[in-house]
Order: sequence, then C-alpha cells, then structure tokens
Amino acid sequence: MTPVLPSSQQWVEKYRPKQVKDVAHQEEVVRVLTNTLETTNCPHMLFYGPPGTGKTTTALAIAHQLYGPGLYKSRVLELNASDDRGINVVRTKIKNFAAVAVGTAHQGGYPCPPYKIIILDEADSMTEDAQASVLVLRNALRRTMETYSKVTRFFFICNYISRIIEPLASRCAKFRFKPLTEEIMTSRILYICNEEGLNLDSEALSTLSSISQGDLRRAITYLQGAARLFGSSITSKDLISVSGVIPDDVVQALFIACRSGDFDMADKEVKNVIAEGYPASQMLNHLYDVVVESDDIPDDQKARICKKFGEADKCLADGADEYLQLLDVASNITRALDNMPQEFPFGS
Amino acid sequence: MLWVDKYRPKTLDKVLVHEDIAQNLKKLVTEQDCPHLLFYGPSGSGKKTLIMALLRQIFGPGADKVKVENKAWRVDAGSRAIDVELTTVSSTHHVELNPSDAGFQDRYVVQEIIKEMAKNRPIDVKGRKGFKVLVLNEVDKLSREAQHSLRRTMEKYSASCRLILCCNSSSKVSEAIRSRCLNMRINAPTEGEIMKVLEFIGKKESLQLPPGFADRIAHQSNRSLRRAILLFETCRVQQYPFTSNQAIPPMDWEEYVSEIASSIFKEQSPKRLFEVRGKLYELLVNCIPPEIILKRLLYELLKKLDSELKHEISHWAAYYEHRLRLGQKAIFHLEAFVAKFMSIYKGFLIETFG
Amino acid sequence: MGKGKRSSTIVISSSDDDEVKDKTSVRLSKSAPPRKNPKRAKKLTVSSSYSSPFQNSSAIDFDEWRQSAVATGAVGSLTGQWEHEVAVKFLHDDIVNQICEEFDQGFPQFKVTSDSSGNKDMWVEKYTPSCLGDVAVHKKKVEEVKSWFEEKLKSNADNSFSNVILISGQAGVGKSATIYAVACHLGMEVYEWRTPTPTIWQEHVHNSNSGIQYMSKLDEFESFVERIRKYGLVSASLTRVSPASVVLLIDDLPMVNGKVSYGRLQRCLYLLLQSVRLPTAILINDYGRSESAEQHSRYWEELQSSLQNAGAYKVTFNPITANSIKRALTRICRLERLKVNDEYIDFIAKSSEGDIRSAITSLQYFSLKPHPLDTLSVLNSVSTYPEEKQTETNRLDDRVLLPFGKDATLSLFHALGKFLHNKRETGSTVPSDTDVILLKEKFSRCPIKMDDPELVLCQAHGQARLVTDFLHENVLDFVNEEAIEDAWVVGAYLSDTDLLLTPSSKTWEAENVLQSAAASVAVRGVLFGNTSPLSSRWHAIRRPVLWQIDQSLKHNKNQILSRRLDDTTSASLYSHSTLATEFNPALKWLGHRVAADHQAPDEVSFDEDDCDGMSVDDEVDDDEIEEW
Repeated sequence: MTPVLPSSQQWVEKYRPKQVKDVAHQEEVVRVLTNTLETTNCPHMLFYGPPGTGKTTTALAIAHQLYGPGLYKSRVLELNASDDRGINVVRTKIKNFAAVAVGTAHQGGYPCPPYKIIILDEADSMTEDAQASVLVLRNALRRTMETYSKVTRFFFICNYISRIIEPLASRCAKFRFKPLTEEIMTSRILYICNEEGLNLDSEALSTLSSISQGDLRRAITYLQGAARLFGSSITSKDLISVSGVIPDDVVQALFIACRSGDFDMADKEVKNVIAEGYPASQMLNHLYDVVVESDDIPDDQKARICKKFGEADKCLADGADEYLQLLDVASNITRALDNMPQEFPFGS
Repeated sequence: MLWVDKYRPKTLDKVLVHEDIAQNLKKLVTEQDCPHLLFYGPSGSGKKTLIMALLRQIFGPGADKVKVENKAWRVDAGSRAIDVELTTVSSTHHVELNPSDAGFQDRYVVQEIIKEMAKNRPIDVKGRKGFKVLVLNEVDKLSREAQHSLRRTMEKYSASCRLILCCNSSSKVSEAIRSRCLNMRINAPTEGEIMKVLEFIGKKESLQLPPGFADRIAHQSNRSLRRAILLFETCRVQQYPFTSNQAIPPMDWEEYVSEIASSIFKEQSPKRLFEVRGKLYELLVNCIPPEIILKRLLYELLKKLDSELKHEISHWAAYYEHRLRLGQKAIFHLEAFVAKFMSIYKGFLIETFG
Repeated sequence: MGKGKRSSTIVISSSDDDEVKDKTSVRLSKSAPPRKNPKRAKKLTVSSSYSSPFQNSSAIDFDEWRQSAVATGAVGSLTGQWEHEVAVKFLHDDIVNQICEEFDQGFPQFKVTSDSSGNKDMWVEKYTPSCLGDVAVHKKKVEEVKSWFEEKLKSNADNSFSNVILISGQAGVGKSATIYAVACHLGMEVYEWRTPTPTIWQEHVHNSNSGIQYMSKLDEFESFVERIRKYGLVSASLTRVSPASVVLLIDDLPMVNGKVSYGRLQRCLYLLLQSVRLPTAILINDYGRSESAEQHSRYWEELQSSLQNAGAYKVTFNPITANSIKRALTRICRLERLKVNDEYIDFIAKSSEGDIRSAITSLQYFSLKPHPLDTLSVLNSVSTYPEEKQTETNRLDDRVLLPFGKDATLSLFHALGKFLHNKRETGSTVPSDTDVILLKEKFSRCPIKMDDPELVLCQAHGQARLVTDFLHENVLDFVNEEAIEDAWVVGAYLSDTDLLLTPSSKTWEAENVLQSAAASVAVRGVLFGNTSPLSSRWHAIRRPVLWQIDQSLKHNKNQILSRRLDDTTSASLYSHSTLATEFNPALKWLGHRVAADHQAPDEVSFDEDDCDGMSVDDEVDDDEIEEW
C-alpha cells in the first residue's frame, strides 16, 4: 500500500504518546505501569474510564516499550471486540495467535519478556450482540485466559467496568482513567497547535475543551477537522460548526419558545431545529442542561420534564422520528412550566 | 430532464446555497486528497448536489460520466454464499449506492464493495495510485452490524478509498464512524435562499414571475429545495403565464392526507375509523412511508385544534410513531393513533358543546 | 399427524449410540422410541389379523367401537355388564396379540397399553405404500428420485458429487413414503434419524439438578452429524448389510427459532452434506407461504438454496391431486371392507388439500363414528367443496368437523366469532363477592360466556399473527357506533400485540412465550375493549386486507426502485421514500413519462390486486358467522 499522505494522517495517531510516561493526567496509572515496565512482570490488565482519556494509548505504549518495533507485530495482537465477525473468529484469532511459541530473542535493548500481549479494545461493547452469544464469548474468553495465561497477557479496555463480568475482571489488575481536566486538555491542544502551526484564540480554546467534554481524542479530531476546513486560523465558531454541537442561541430559542406557553411557537422552533439539521438527541442533552441549571424552575417541574427527556431519549435510540419526539418534549416542557395538568381533561 | 436535474449546479463554484460550505470543501480537496466525509441534514437540503459537485472538483469532468446499473455481488459468508443485488451509480472514480436497500444483508454489501474497490485502484497521471470514492446513502438506516463493519473497512482501506457518507440524522450514525469522518452539517435552505434559486431558474427558462409567487412556492416547500423546484416546474406545466394567485398544486398524497383529516373531524365512529383505515392502506400501498403519513396527518390535525388538544395529540403522535418503528405492521399503530384522536376529539366536543 | 412412523425402519436415534453419554442415557429409558422389528412381514400378519374374515362380519362393530372408546379415552369409565365383558374380551385379544408380537420380535415390549395397540393400526402406517406403484406421488417425481438413487448405487461412494437429495413439499405429500418405496424397490434399507422425544421443561429442571445438561433437538442433531462425520454410520445393526445399500433419511429437521440457532442448523446440514458417504435424503416441510411465517419461510428458502449450491439435488413435491387421494382412499376402503359413500371420499380428498396422510387419518377417524351414514346425508346435498364448507360451519358439530381440519380455518372462524361477538352474562358485573379486588366501574366487565380465551385459541390452533390480523380486520364491525373510545382501546391492544410479535434478535429464546402472550393480549384486548358489542347483526368475517396490502406494497416498492435504472438523466440515487413522496406526484402532474412504459404506482392500485390472488380464500369471505 502506498503510504498515506501526510495531510490525511489522523492527528489522533500522529500525536499519540509513544511512551507510558507521556500519557497525560493519569499519574497513578503511569507510576504503577512504569514499575511494571522495569520489572517486565505484567499481570492481565483492565483499563477503564471515559472515552479519550488515554486507555488505548497506554496499552499500545506498554506494548511498544516492551517489544520495540521489531517484535511488536509478532507479539502483540490488537482486537476490537465489537468487530462483527463473530465470537468464533475472535476466539480463533486469539488461539492461533497464542498458540505460536515465543522465542527468547532480545532485540535492540527492549525488555522483550517471554509472553505475548492481546489487546481487546472496547471489551464492554461485546454485549451489543445477543445476550446468548455474549455468554458464550465470556466463557470462551475465560477459558482462553486460563489456558494461555502462561504465555499470554490480556489487556482489556472498556468504558464501563460494570459491563465486564466479575470472573473476568477479578483476574485483572484494574486501572481507572480519569476524565481530563481543562488545563491538561488545553496544554495538549496548544502543543499540537504549535506543531501544526495553528492559531487558536483563548475563546476557541475554551470552546474546544467544553465541546469535547474531557475527551481528548474528540478535541483533536475537531481541531483537525477545523484546520482542514478553515485553515490555520480557527475561531470558536468554526470549531462549533465542525463538531456539530448545537450553538447556544438555538437551544435558548427553543427553550424560550417553550416558556412562552404557546404551542405553535414551540412547534415552529422545533421545525427550525430539525430543518437546520441538528440531531435531536443532542438537543435533548442541551435542553437537559438548561432545565436542570435554571434556578427559577421548581423541582417538581424539573422532575416532570426530565422524565420526558428520558422517555424521548429512549425513543430516539429506537429510531423514532426526531421531529415528533422533539415536539413532544417541547410540548411537555411547556405544559410543565405552565403547570397544566398531566392528565388530559377530556375524554376518558 | 427535470429541472431538479437540469439546474443542479455542477461545480462547487456554482452553487447558490451553502456557498460557504462549498468553498470550504474546495479548500479541503485542493491537496488532492480528502478525509472521509459525513454529510447530514434534512431531506432536500442539497447534500447530494454538494457531493456531486465535490466529486467533480476532485476528479474533473470524468466524474460526470456515470452509468446506472444493477450490480450483483456474491458474498462469501462463512459456510454459505449470499447473493446481493443493488442498484449503483458509478463512474471510473466513484461508486454510489444505498446499502440499506439490501436489508439485513447490508453489512456484507459494505464490506464486499469496499474490498472490490480497493482491488482495482485507478492510477493517476503521475503514475501514483489514486483513490476511489464510495458514496453511501442513508447510512443512518444501516444496521448496527453494518456500521461496525463499515468502521473497520474504513480503517483497513483508508489508503485506497475515501468514503462519503450521506444521511438525514447524524445521531443514528455510530460515534465510531462520526469521529472518523469530517462532519458536514447541511442545513435546509431558508425560504429566502429557495426564492433566490427559483428566480434563477425562472430567468434561465425566461419565465415571468409575478411578485410573491416564488415566495409562496418557497413557503409551501417546507424548506426543501428539491420540492420547491418540483413544485415550480409543476406550476409551469399547469398554467403559464403565472398569475400571482395561481394555486400551487399540493402533492397528491398530501391532499389525500388532508382529506383523511377532514373526514376525521366530521365524524368520530368505528365506522369512520374503518373508512380511514382503507384510505391509509391506499397511501401505504403507494409507498408513502408510514411515519411520513403520520407526521402529515398530525400537521393537518394541528391546524384546526385548540392548544390544549394540540399538546395531547402531539404526544400521541410521537407515541404511536415510536411504536410503528418498533413494530411490523404500521397500520395497527396508525389506526390506533387515529382512534385515539377521534376519542379525544369526541370527548372534547361533548365537553365544550354538550 | 405423523404420530406413528413406519415400523419397518431402523431408528437411529442419537441416543442409541455406542458411546452413550451419561446425559443421553437417562433419557433413553424414558423416551427413546420403541425399537421395531425391521421385517415388514411381521407387521402384515398383525394387521391382517384385524381384517380377518372371522372378525369381520360381527366383530367389526366391536372393533370400531373399541377403537372409538380408546380414542376418546373412555375405557376406564365403562359401566354396563355387557360392555364390560366386551372390554375384557378385547383387552384379552390385545394381550394375546401383544404376546404374539413380542414373541415375534424377540425382545420385550413393556407397554401393554391401549394406545400402543391403537398406534399400530393407524391406517396411515398400515397402508404405507410398499411398492412404487402404490405411491400416490406423481410418477415423474418418483422416477426422478428413483433414478437419482440408482445413479448413486452405480457410482460408488467416491463420487465427487454430493450424496444428498433434498425433497421439499408440504406435509403429507408422500416425501418419506417415496423414499421408503424407492428404497424397497432398489433393495436398500432405510435408516432414519429421529430425535428422541423432546425433553420437557420440568424434566430439564429435574435433570439439571442432577447435573445433566439440557439438550435441545438441535443439539442432538448437531452431535448426530458430528458422529456421522467422524465414524460414519456405526450402528450394530448396520454390520449385516453392506453400506452401499443403505439410505440415510433425515425427516423432521429440528425446528429453529431465531438467527443463531438457524445458523447452527445450517452449518450442521452443510457439514453433513460435505461429509456423508451414504445416499442421504433430507426432507423439508414447506409450511406454505403463510404470512405469519414469513420470516420462517425465508430462512428455509435460504437454507434450501444454500444446500443446493453446495451440491444437493433438489426435488419438489407438489400436493397430491384429489384424484390420487381418492384412489388411495378407495383402495383402503376396499381392503378394510368399509362401505363409504363416494361423495364422502370425494369430500375428504378435497378437504385434505393434498395431504394424503391427513386424508387417511380423516377416513379412519370417520369410520369410527357410530353412524357414519347419518352424517353423510348432510353432505349428500352439496357438490363442490367451497359451498360445503359454508354449510357445514353451521350444521356439523365440532366432533365431525375437526378431523377434516387439515385446514384450521373453520375452527379458527368459530373462535374468531366467539371473540368478536363477545357474548357476556347479564346481570351483576361482579362475578362473586369473594373477589376482593375492587375495580373502577369502567374496568369491570360481565363474565364472558365461553371458556378461557386461551383455551379456545388453543383448540382452534390459532396462530398469534393470524388471529391478530383477523381480529384487526374485523373488530370494528362489532364495536358500537357510539363507542369510539372502545375502538381505541381495542386498537391500542392490537398495537401492543404487534410489538410483541415483532421478532427481535435479542429475544429469540422467548419467542414461543411471546407468541402465546401476544395472542392472549390481542384476544383479551378485543374482549375487554369492546364494552358493548353489537350483537344482533350478522357479520361476515373478512380475510385481512392487510395481507394484500403488504404484497402490493412490496411490489410497488420494487417497481419504484427499479425505475431508477431506466432513469438515466438523474445521476443520483434517491431513496424510495423520496421517490414516492416527491418525484412521483410531480411526475404525474407533469404528465412526464407517465405514458405506457411507466405506469405510475397509483395505477397499480390495490383494488386490482384485491381481485387476483384472492380467489383461493374467497369462500372465506362470504362465510357468514351466526352468533352462537
């Protein structure tokens, strides 16, 4: 394959830390793992935490530091558990990979411990398949682990530890990755801007960290997108348009329309939101923030509104129509704020 | 040729709406390369137009020479072979298709086609291997599995092909795909923008537009440029020269829905409900998607209601629309909605007028 | 149907294997089907004893009487002295026969119960065709199967082509009979794979307590295939004959629900196809293209085509013609010395819908009736089948009607009528004072005048989707004109039902439960929702229009999509909804290409479609249902 042109290389890959010690903001994890690296004694590991906090980066960095570029390919297997090709394929891959004996060759000053590493990314999304096949997979993994544990180390990476079954989790050393703080994000972003010759004003910087919500990968993706579209000088507006985040004034307009108590106004705003192409689920998130944070709404009304948010979110996840759901939500907000009865007065 | 096709801007420089986006896209591809793109926005907002103009920008006029064909793939899925047939539009540089047409086999389609495209890559003038573009429509309708496999193939073949994805609702596209694409939100053009386009076409066709005429078409189009142009052409066929109070013919199915609405208002009884069922069948059998029927019906009903009833009925519309997505037989849910409305409305009439 | 299979087979149940595992061995004692002697001759002697002249003239009545007693399970409740004597005599006969039989067979048969003997003289078994000429299947098809087997016999096992023949056809068209007859003709022996009786849930609970794993039929089949692959057919009985003259017969494939188990089955069959050395026949039941089983039949279609792709030879059997069935029935009547009216045979033959097994069973059942000729007189007045069905609905009682009921529609219609008419007791709404739950008035109803709706459904063999569609189509006729509220309640329940019936990949295990729950919701929803049913009207029960709509919709959709191909001007692909909602209406206005070559979808209206394709079920339309 031809090398990917530099322009199309993802910055997320380009600026991925190559060393465990460079991983941002995860001091405890880094301390323990550095220790591990020195002794080359490595347990099975489970990394969990929100997206974009450096889990995959850490796992890859460990593997690289243990084996170096020469042996990496033969010693490390990266698997996406959400790979749809099925439990059996994953299993066979693991088996085949683990079955090949490891040599003891040392290369280029890397520790090269005598075991292999299997990185299972997104381990928690295995549940997306039917429950039944997941059970099988879990068992398969469990059995696989015991059989090959002498020669193989597993790194599980997931967002929610609660979705990893206990027997599996208990065999691993667990590391929690914290969400990144704004300072850390900012410094990392600034570093990249510097490297890429971008100009970001402070407003754009804070916008970027707020729209990416502690997810560094997302922040970098947005930044790259904006850089491609708008060139080296990037404003806060550019970032918002790239990220697809709904601008505050649109959210406010809808909320004000709901407050007015007029159904038709709310309907008009909802239509506008849909026509502008903003995703309804995101709109729900924003409205939720607005409602929860406003001081002049009594708690019972907030509860009533939030209940509706929950229902609508579920419906949207089921693929329901965005306009109808959003309209329903808006109508509910209007009614709740007006203290209109929840039960319909006419008919039965 | 329909005006919709005839006056579709061929290049990014010629677009009349979304000029800013067009300029950005142009900037994006000047480096002879582009990232994966995801276009999203409501129907009729101009996604396709932009995509086609973009392809031309990348590949030159060669991208215009397309052929439409039914292509069959034989996909090897473990122990069995699956035959999939899909309609594609392709040039030497790109292939466009609706993978969701393949139903539950969509994921095989995605994998297989991308693989095939990766195999025969075009070679550009400098002897370098170029890339092909795969345009996938309606990615929001792809199954979860298909989206997963799409994401995998995106990574695997990123050197040989670029994806342009197109959908109405970005929230139905998985985060994994969205984060690997540059997201382009294409909003529906405003009525003003639509008027501008209509006037442009009017000038090209050397038509006299009475004042306020384009305005009314734009208003009736629901901010869908495609629909506005179709309406415009329909008016032209119906009556020319235009008069300022000329009726703009509604879509036949919309008129039908409005008839249903008024018959619902006239009588609320099981018998009437049964008649409505027959009419709903008529719409369904003509391939009008049930959710669109429901939305239109709601629109018609809302026109004539008190605000209290509006809240209630919009709730039930949302409720039953959700159910018809989950269920199999749309008519059950559509009918339950109509029955609920009749029941509410009758209660309301009795309450108010005794 | 299919309760008793031919006894001349050697049953290879997966549990009678050499390497019997602990889990299967337990079940072996409980439920493995009794082994039967492979010699056909024996069976003939037994059956001939029933039709021997000595019994015939006087005893035939007794015989019939006894059988009907057995059939109704009334043996234990006999009271009269004379009857008692007769019963004893026949029990005695039974035992004698039994002993002879056991002696013949050379191994003990434990059950000396009435049903085992009842089983043996099922006419379906008794008159299984033994030679090719007797098979009621079309000659050409039989010839096709025969030549395939001959081919296999000639070219030995090392043939590169697959050794599998696939025979599909609806139930009772003689698929397995053909195999047996052909095998008999060619001097081959048939080995049939049969699943042990399925483990019921309680048993499973019991077993799992004792550490035994539950094995579904599919599991059994998988392990059977696995063994075939590894060892070939290693059964003790096989040593006697050369493997070349053995036919492996797989009837009765495991039923599968859901994608996962379907995939397993397919893999399994595929493995079998590739590894099996013996000529093998796989029989596949077509369940017809009923709408309720759409998903299901798609699975099977795909399965068949994938097997064919892998080299299996496919033969499709059509339903047996009424004439052939009539011939077979007449022959049986002759052999049984039974005097049956021609019209009656005609009726059975026609109502069996090409299912010869059901026809024979009907005949036998009918011959057990005390006064068959009385009932026949009812039928004498009518000539063709559809009309017969209508008149019968009202005149014949269930007991006579049911045995013809290959077609469940009739009993289904009874049930639907009950649900729709919704007859209730009058008077107090609260059935008893002991009922402590107080309901608001709008929720309480008078007790219904029928058995539990679930029971009624079950008796009518009502499939959930079918019942729901019918209820949906018809229920509005029965709702009071004033009661739009009721119409909504009913509609809401039907909407619930639709959700329950929607197959979901995540709940495939629970599908059966869901089916019955859905049927329950639909029926009870209709009963509950309709507070004041219209009672005094006669209503025709219509066939759901919905089915037509679905088909026309599919057709129109494809048409719209395929029109994209002709359209060379537009260089882009639109989804069908855009085409239907925007382009088509506009094109119609424009008069643009709506000419001959492009028919607008409107013109493919469903009125037209209504007319064709309905004929099969037309008779149902005018089927008046009286209130009961």
